[in-house]
Amino acid sequence: MFLELRQVGFSYPQKTSPAVIGINLSLKKSGITAIVGPNGSGKSTLTKLMLGILPASEGQIYLEGRNITEYSLAEAGRRIGYVSQNPDLQLFCASVAEEIAFGLVNQGCDVATLEERVNFYLDYFELAAYRKSFPLHLSQGEKQRLAIAAVLANEPEYLILDEPTNGLDAYRKRLLEEYLHKVAELGRGILLVSHDIAFVDRMAERIIALANGQIQSDSNQRGEGYLCY
Amino acid sequence: MLLDPRSKMIMVICISSLALIYNTPARLLQLLLVTLVLLFIFSFNLRVIAGYLKPFVFLMFFLFVVQSIFSPGDRVILALGPVSLISIEGVLAGATVVLRLLVITAAAMLFTTFSSRDFILGLVQWKVPYEIAFMVSTALRFLPLFRDELKNVLTAIQLRGVDLKKVPWGKKMVMYRRLTFPVVYRNMLKAEQLAIAMEARAFRAYPQRTYLRQLNLQRVDYVVILLSLLVTFILIMRYIG
Ligand SMILES: Nc1ncnc2c1ncn2[C@@H]1O[C@H](COP(=O)(O)OP(=O)(O)OP(=O)(O)O)[C@@H](O)[C@H]1O
Ligand SMILES: [Mg+2]
Repeated sequence: MFLELRQVGFSYPQKTSPAVIGINLSLKKSGITAIVGPNGSGKSTLTKLMLGILPASEGQIYLEGRNITEYSLAEAGRRIGYVSQNPDLQLFCASVAEEIAFGLVNQGCDVATLEERVNFYLDYFELAAYRKSFPLHLSQGEKQRLAIAAVLANEPEYLILDEPTNGLDAYRKRLLEEYLHKVAELGRGILLVSHDIAFVDRMAERIIALANGQIQSDSNQRGEGYLCY
Repeated sequence: MLLDPRSKMIMVICISSLALIYNTPARLLQLLLVTLVLLFIFSFNLRVIAGYLKPFVFLMFFLFVVQSIFSPGDRVILALGPVSLISIEGVLAGATVVLRLLVITAAAMLFTTFSSRDFILGLVQWKVPYEIAFMVSTALRFLPLFRDELKNVLTAIQLRGVDLKKVPWGKKMVMYRRLTFPVVYRNMLKAEQLAIAMEARAFRAYPQRTYLRQLNLQRVDYVVILLSLLVTFILIMRYIG
C-alpha cells in the first residue's frame, strides 16, 4: 500500500464539528482514484492530511509504511505531487518558465534535461506564449494549467489533484485527461478530487464518496454502483 | 478583561512611543516584559505570540547583524586586519533596534484582541473620519494576512521538494530574494481587489453611514486610559530629564 489511513480525524481550531472523522482508507501506488462529495464534506482537508500539510488530530497516516509525521513537507512533496484547489496559493515565481523549472532546479537536474522538460510542459499545456509572463497575471484556467504543469514537471510517483479541471475549457480538459491517462499507464498513481462527474467517470477506477467528513461509499468495497450525490 | 478597544489603542500608542524614545537594550527589555505581561492579562497565550513572531525572526536576525556591523564603536570585538567589524557599541545598537521592533510588534498584537469593526467604531466615535479609521484598520488587518501569505508560499515551496531546513544559508538568501517580489506583488494585487470590491459595495458613495452599535467607555476604561497616559508621561520625563 502506498498510502494508508487509519481512523483519521481532523478538526480545525475553533470549530465545533470535525472536518473529517474516522477515515479508513488504503491507496495503491497505481491506478486512478477519485474522491467526490458535496461542498464542505472534507475532501480538501483529507488530501492535506495525506501530505502532512495539516497534522491529523486523530489516527495515523502511513506513506509507504512510514508515518507521515516522520516526513518533512519536502520529502512528502517529492513523493506526492500536490495541486491544491486554489492555484494562486501555489504560484510564487516571477515567471511562468521559472515556475515550471523551480522543482527541477532545486533537485539539481542538469541543464539539458531542464530545458527539455520545461519546454515540453510549456508546449503541452499551451503556456509557451506566456513563458516570461508573471504567473498571477494569467487567466484562471491558465493559472490552473500552470499549477498542474509545475507539479507534473517534477514527475513525482503519485499525484493528488484537488479540482484539477477547475476553470479549464472542454478542449484543455481533454488534454489534461489524456495526459493523466498517460501518467497512469506509466504505473503512477493519481488521486483526484472533483465535482465534475463526467470527468470522474471517464478517469477513475475507484470512487470514494465523502459526506460530512466521513466515507459514505467506496466503489472498491461495494463493487459497482457507487453513490452519486 | 473587557476593555473598550479605545483603551487598548491608547495602551498600544503609549508602549510604542516609549519604544521609540527608549534607546538602550535594558530599558527596551523591561518594556518588552511589561508588554508580554499585558498580553498575558488579555489572555493571549505565549505560544500564539511566538507563532506570530516566528516569520520575523529571520528579518530581525538580519537587522541585528547589519546594525552590529555598520554601527561604529571603539570597543572592538571582531576585526578584519585594520578594519573593525563588530564592536560592543554596534552589538548594543543592533539589540536596541531588534528589541524595539519586538516591543512594537508585541504591542500591536493587542489590536488582535478585539475585532477590526470595534476598532473602526472606536475611532469614529472619537471623531476620526471613517475613511481614515477604515484605512488604519485595513492596514492592521493586512499584517496577519501578509504572514499567512508567507506561510502559504513557504508551504508551496516545500511541497515542490525544497527542504528549507537543509538549504544552506547562502542559497536560501538567493531564493528568498527572488521570491520577495512575487510575494509583495501578490499582496498588492489583493489590496487592489479589496479596493474594487469596496467600491462595488458603495464605499463612500453616500455621505451618511449607519452604525449598528455604540461603544461606551466604562469606569475601568477611564482609569486605564488616564493611568497609561500618566505613567508614560512620567517615564518619558524621567528618561529625558
Ligand atoms: N482553514 C480552515 N479553517 C476552519 N475551517 C475550515 C478551514 N478549511 C476548511 N474548513 C472547514 O472544514 C470543512 C471541510 O472543508 P474542505 O475544504 O475540506 O471541504 P471540501 O470538501 O474540499 O469542499 P469543496 O467542495 O468546497 O472544495 C468545511 O466545513 C470548512 O468550512
Ligand atoms: Mg475542496
